[in-house]
Amino acid sequence: MADSGAPPVAIVLNSGEGTVSVIDTVTRQVIRTEPAYREPSHWALTPDRQRLLVADASGNALFIYDPSTGAPMGHKRIADPYQIGYTPNNRYFVVNALRLDFVDVYDGADFSLVKRFKPGRWPSHLDFSPDSRWSFNSMQNSDTLCSFDLVNMTQRWSVKVGTTPAGVLWLNGRVIVCLMGEGGIVEVDPIRGGITHFQKTGDGAHNIFLDERRHILYVSNRGPGQTSLTALDPVTLQPVRTYPIPGGPDDIAIDPEGNIWIAQRFAESVAVLDPQTGEYSTIPVGRSPHGIFLSSMLRQQGQVTAERLL
Amino acid sequence: MSLDRLFSIIAGYMEQWVVVPVLFRFHWMAWDDLAFDWCLICVYGLFAVFVTYAVCLPLEYWRPVERWPNKKAVAVDVFYTLLNRVGVVPIVTFVLFYQAQTWTTGFLVERGYIPPTLESLVPFLLDRPLLTFLIYALILDCADYWRHRLSHSFRWWYALHALHHAQRQMSFWSDDRNHLLDDTISFLWFFVIGLIIGIPPLQFPLLVLGLKFVESLSHANIRLSFGPLEWLFVSPRFHRFHHGLRAAGRHSCNYASVFPVWDILFRTADFRDEYLPTGDAKAPEALATGGYMAQQATGLKLFWQALGKSWASLGIGRAA
Ligand SMILES: [Zn+2]
Ligand SMILES: [Zn+2]
Repeated sequence: MADSGAPPVAIVLNSGEGTVSVIDTVTRQVIRTEPAYREPSHWALTPDRQRLLVADASGNALFIYDPSTGAPMGHKRIADPYQIGYTPNNRYFVVNALRLDFVDVYDGADFSLVKRFKPGRWPSHLDFSPDSRWSFNSMQNSDTLCSFDLVNMTQRWSVKVGTTPAGVLWLNGRVIVCLMGEGGIVEVDPIRGGITHFQKTGDGAHNIFLDERRHILYVSNRGPGQTSLTALDPVTLQPVRTYPIPGGPDDIAIDPEGNIWIAQRFAESVAVLDPQTGEYSTIPVGRSPHGIFLSSMLRQQGQVTAERLL
Repeated sequence: MSLDRLFSIIAGYMEQWVVVPVLFRFHWMAWDDLAFDWCLICVYGLFAVFVTYAVCLPLEYWRPVERWPNKKAVAVDVFYTLLNRVGVVPIVTFVLFYQAQTWTTGFLVERGYIPPTLESLVPFLLDRPLLTFLIYALILDCADYWRHRLSHSFRWWYALHALHHAQRQMSFWSDDRNHLLDDTISFLWFFVIGLIIGIPPLQFPLLVLGLKFVESLSHANIRLSFGPLEWLFVSPRFHRFHHGLRAAGRHSCNYASVFPVWDILFRTADFRDEYLPTGDAKAPEALATGGYMAQQATGLKLFWQALGKSWASLGIGRAA
């Protein structure tokens, strides 16, 4: 991290209005609003940690920001990037093009298209096996989870996992998938794709995150009525605590003090939750905040991704 | 709290407590994200109808062009407005547009072409959202000018558009009275434009409403011109001239919806300070005073007949 004078920031992607809000995490005020084209949704950090790539789906572009300040650094035209991620070995950059039904595998170094899969309707979220061999992609409108072999560039399997699968996370040799249509998560065997466990979390289970010390698994529930964030034991998958968070919580990020920053999609705000007390304050941002990145995450060891905060 | 933020938050509640329960119940949660956009469209649409009503109604009382013994013919226009602004039409249009847009984008992307946005074509616009909005508005309004002008030029097209012109009790409710097929053609027209320059960002929904307001106001039964600014925005006087009995049919003037500049530029503007009776003398009575279904059916019949005539005149149909 170069800039020691700059305040630590939160970079919030306002998917409903084509802007990015930069929040000073000390004063908890929006200090700048930076432009994107149409629909910034999710982010990925480049392997050298110098650039934060923001996927602008209907704008057909990757917007680039300085991850430590949120300053804009240009953009790159690619087709419909919704959820994005580097394989753990940084060889490939995988894009779920939700509207176009593509899973596009780009070369991680030069962004040339290596392979295009068309595995189902509305590819939503993704994660990888730690050896970078397999990717796991949820098909939101086909009710399936698909796995690809990134060595042979072939599809390994596609299985029905339940209604409207969204968030995907590799965890302890298993793949966890959130089911928005069913109110819980399923554990999937990464070898054959069979479902080994279902765990209720809350209606509209949408996205899943593992905290830095691997102590707690968080699931955001965006179902009807009161929405919430559920904390689970990452080993047993048993719920430990549920935090009522209004406004449709989506992505989260955890700051060095342990506060959880939560994008509230339908409340135009970011909630900052103290998981000890369960109390939270909110910061107004732009319309439909989706992904959220904290510059403090640059200090973490290993690969920094939106889901595995380690 | 800004009005935009207030509306988003109302739409958020609507999403969470009204729409998502339905989506969840019927296993349609995949549409959760897009449903929020529908909620926004509904909330803004309702607000627009309310503001138009609140502004135009007193004005129509204060200085009407015409006084009507009864307002029976206005009722159907109210129905058109609610259907088009808050009802089913925006949602159906939204879904159709979304599907058509993703299908064509996918088709183009597979052939190595990524459809642009205005800002990707003109990078200067990227951090100038207001200017971007204005240019989008001008381009779309210009496209609408030509759509409207062409709809007066072709026999078959005017057969559909005659429904809009048949109203003799023209009021601020009349903006949305159009034949469904005519609306479909507009939809396709703007769909193609959207592919060429992209879809404008959702950043200024209130300005979008402002432009729609100008359109509604321009139909109002008000003796009102914008004086020295008459060239800047379409006034009730300007558009009434287009709806005047004399201007009905295939040779008309004042086609612009929001910015008269297109009429000035393409030499179809008429700034005479006259307030003429409206309507289309040649249109069947059902188009003027019939109910919604009667108007749609009559429009379709006229369209079919006109299509026959157009073909015959081209020598395509049966020999005349
Ligand atoms: Zn006309
Ligand atoms: Zn008109």
